[in-house]
Amino acid sequence: MPPAKGAGLVMVGVGTILTSMIAAGFLLGYAVDSWLDSRPIFMLVFGGLGAVGGFLKVYKLLSRNI
Amino acid sequence: MSAEEHSSGGGTVEYIQHHLTNLCAGDCDPVTHKAAGFWALHVDTLFFSVLLGALIVFVSWRLGRRLSLDAPSGFQNLVESIIEFVQGQVKDTFPGHNPLIAPLALTIFVWVWLMNFMDLIPVDLLPMLAGAAGVPYLKVGPTTDLNTTMAMSLTVFALILFYNIKVKGVVGYLKVFLFHPFGKFFIPVNIVMTAIEELAKPLSLGLRLFGNLFAGELVFLLIALIGGTLAVGAMGYLFWFPLQIVLDLGWLIFHLLVITLQAFIFMVLTLVYLGMAHVEDH
Repeated sequence: MPPAKGAGLVMVGVGTILTSMIAAGFLLGYAVDSWLDSRPIFMLVFGGLGAVGGFLKVYKLLSRNI
Repeated sequence: MSAEEHSSGGGTVEYIQHHLTNLCAGDCDPVTHKAAGFWALHVDTLFFSVLLGALIVFVSWRLGRRLSLDAPSGFQNLVESIIEFVQGQVKDTFPGHNPLIAPLALTIFVWVWLMNFMDLIPVDLLPMLAGAAGVPYLKVGPTTDLNTTMAMSLTVFALILFYNIKVKGVVGYLKVFLFHPFGKFFIPVNIVMTAIEELAKPLSLGLRLFGNLFAGELVFLLIALIGGTLAVGAMGYLFWFPLQIVLDLGWLIFHLLVITLQAFIFMVLTLVYLGMAHVEDH
C-alpha cells in the first residue's frame, strides 16, 4: 500500500484508471482472441472484467482517503 | 499564416491535418504520410525529443562546472529549487531507498516538461520555417505524438516489472497474480484481473499525457484559425484578430499550468507505481 500522500496524488488519475482498465481488458482480450482465433468471446469477457476491476479499483482508491 | 490562403472549410481541415501530421520516414503511406508499418520513424518527434534531452545534459553539465556555494547564480537557484522539489516528492511518495529513483523522477519531470513546452511555441512558426527549408511536415511537440508517451510509459512499465520481480521474487510476484484481488478461490479471474490492472498502468500513463497535450495542441490550432480563416475585411481585423490574441494568450497561460501539471503527474505516478513495486506486501 502506498503512503498516504502518494495515494492522495493517485486520485488525480482516478478517471483515467477507470477508462484504461476497460481499455486494457479489451486489449488483453483482443490479444488472447487473435491467439486462440475466438473473437469476440475473450474481448467481451476481459473487457467486462476490466470494467468491474476498474470500478473496484476506483472505489478502493476513493474510500481509502475519506 | 498558411490558413489565410484558404477560405473554405476544406482548407481549415487541411490546415489542421497538415499540422497534426508527423514527418515520417521509412515505412510510410505515400498519400496520407502516416505510418504504414513497424519501421516508420517520426523524424520530427525523434529530433525534438533527443534535442531537448541533449539540452538538459548540456545545461546540467555547464551548470555543474560553475557551481558556487558562496554566490549561487539565479539559474543555479532555480535548478536547486527544482531538484529540492523533486527530492521532496520522492521522499513523500517513495518508501525505502533506491538511488535510481530520484534521478529518474527528475529526468522525467524536466524532460516531459520541456517536450510539453514545445506546444507553447506559436503553432505556425517552426512548421513555416521548416517549410521554407523544404521540410513538408513538422509536428513540434514530441508529447503530442503517442509514440513518445507510450515509449516513456512502457519504459516505466519495464522498470515496474523489474523491481516487482527483484523485490518480491518471481514466486512472490506470481502470488500477486494468483491471489489478488479476490482470494484463492477465484484464481483464473485473479490472473486476468491482475494482468489487466498491470497493463492499465502504462496505458493510463501514456494516454493521459498524450490526450492532454494533443488536445491542447488542437485548441491552439483552432485559435490560430480564427484570425486566419475568419479575418476578412475591416471587421476581421477589428474583431477577430484581437479575439484571437486574447484567446491565444488565455489558453497559453492555462496551458502553462496544464503542461506543468501533466509533467508532475507523470513523475508522481511513476514514483507511486515504482513504490508499489518496492513494497513486499501488496
